Amino acid sequence: MPTRSTAGPLSLVASLLIIAPALHAQSLADRAVEQNHVTIGGYGEIQYANASGPATPGRVDLTRFVIYLANAFTDKLSVRSEVEIEDAKIENGSPAGEVSVEQLFLDYRLSDAFTLRTGLLLAPVGIINETHEPTTFNGVARPDFDHDVIPTTWRELGIGAAGALPGVAGVAYRVYLMNGLRSEGFSADEGIREGRQEGQDASFANPSLTGRLEWARPGLKIGGSFWYGGSADQNPAIGTGTFAAPVTVLAADARYDRGGLSLRGVVANVTVGDASLINGAFGGQVAHRISGGYAEAAYDVLRLVVPASSQRLDAFARYENYDTHAGVPAGVVRSDSLARRITTLGLTYRPVGGVVFKGDYQLRRNRAGIGESNVVRLGVGYQF
Amino acid sequence: MLLLAGAAIAAPLRAQEAPPKKVTAAIERLFGKATRVDTIAVDGRRVLRIARGDSLLGFAQVRNVIGRDQPITFLVAIDPANRLKDVDVLVYREPYGGEVAYDTWRKQFRGKGADAPLEIGKDIRSISGATISSRSVTLGVRQALSELTAWRQQGKLK
Repeated sequence: MPTRSTAGPLSLVASLLIIAPALHAQSLADRAVEQNHVTIGGYGEIQYANASGPATPGRVDLTRFVIYLANAFTDKLSVRSEVEIEDAKIENGSPAGEVSVEQLFLDYRLSDAFTLRTGLLLAPVGIINETHEPTTFNGVARPDFDHDVIPTTWRELGIGAAGALPGVAGVAYRVYLMNGLRSEGFSADEGIREGRQEGQDASFANPSLTGRLEWARPGLKIGGSFWYGGSADQNPAIGTGTFAAPVTVLAADARYDRGGLSLRGVVANVTVGDASLINGAFGGQVAHRISGGYAEAAYDVLRLVVPASSQRLDAFARYENYDTHAGVPAGVVRSDSLARRITTLGLTYRPVGGVVFKGDYQLRRNRAGIGESNVVRLGVGYQF
Repeated sequence: MLLLAGAAIAAPLRAQEAPPKKVTAAIERLFGKATRVDTIAVDGRRVLRIARGDSLLGFAQVRNVIGRDQPITFLVAIDPANRLKDVDVLVYREPYGGEVAYDTWRKQFRGKGADAPLEIGKDIRSISGATISSRSVTLGVRQALSELTAWRQQGKLK
């Protein structure tokens, strides 16, 4: 066919001419994605709090400024890091302020079921420890439970695996071997918190195992976490074994979202073995059991007024109930003021996903009725 | 009309592309075995046309959206009536948020047309802890569906 023999090459050339710019544009777009190996992100929060009572002026603090840096070397191999400045600055002689690496880990993604992970890792315990950006939780500051019971941000050096549990739909796992806690830092009012080593010349005398299983479907996530490991750090007064003064953390959490409704709750139980030996060695009043939890409900009230809005205004209530002296060893007098009940009522306004304005009112109570207060708090946070 | 054979525009495999066998497996899962898959270019984008014998089964496209910081490579497939058959997450590269690959989450998209809002909080539910990825993939699917539907209506895909 003569028409074909002439039109063929011509139409092909024409096609290429027409198609070329479009393809070029696409390859540029693809290259932009491909070269986006380095990612810069960050989050930050400023908090104002004014407690009731005389001589308690309001305080405002640049609580956190965090820079996130990540690089994907290949599809499988990447590194992620967060550097944090707390309380705006560090100055000689001032106890406030801290600069720290909050996480730094390498991921080697071998399959969906198995990512090898190593570095300064977040203990996969509870909700807030791994997901702690201010845009992700209600309330100006993180729940007190996530300070005194689960010591967020809990990070240690270690190695482990993460992925989707093979053969079980909707279940993910994480399991890490990490350096242990040091019981020298344990206290009556903050439990195991100051036993964290946070990646600084950490003692590996008590390698510890931590992990989490997480079942998820749209709108619902249920998780269970554990930590187990010694904390004696070869102190002869406590024990030189790998698992001397063992700390066991068991935690369960759930999150549910439907329409404008968000619910979440966490419970945790911490046992500290050989607590009396720890107290004997360091003179503290450390409990052998720390436990509690919180439940929170929020509703996006903006959708009642402006149903089409992509903004959110969540009204929330949270009730925390925990005791860092839930069980005490012989020689320690149980302190009722450590059995805390904190009710937080507030609003969380999200004009876009990465920005949050917060306000809340807290009723801080304890079983002893000592040092109770009400606190008004305001905050702003962002994440990108 | 710009319909070219796949070979003519075959580009080198890029970092954010899915391994061909993953694409093949996804097509086979969605459309069954013994299908004929042609790669065609529409407005400079590659679309897979899936047929068995003379009957058209649908179209599929491999795309990327940025999640928290890495591209998420996913496949979107439509049937001849321009309804979403399924979404398949082919390569996920981030440490958290991998739940978007779960069937329970992806099945929310099935049967949707370009008239659906395809928006988190409206017709698609998010997954806690995977909020950013849920949002990104939903946006990517919405863009893909609207593009594929437009091409179908313009007669560029048939």
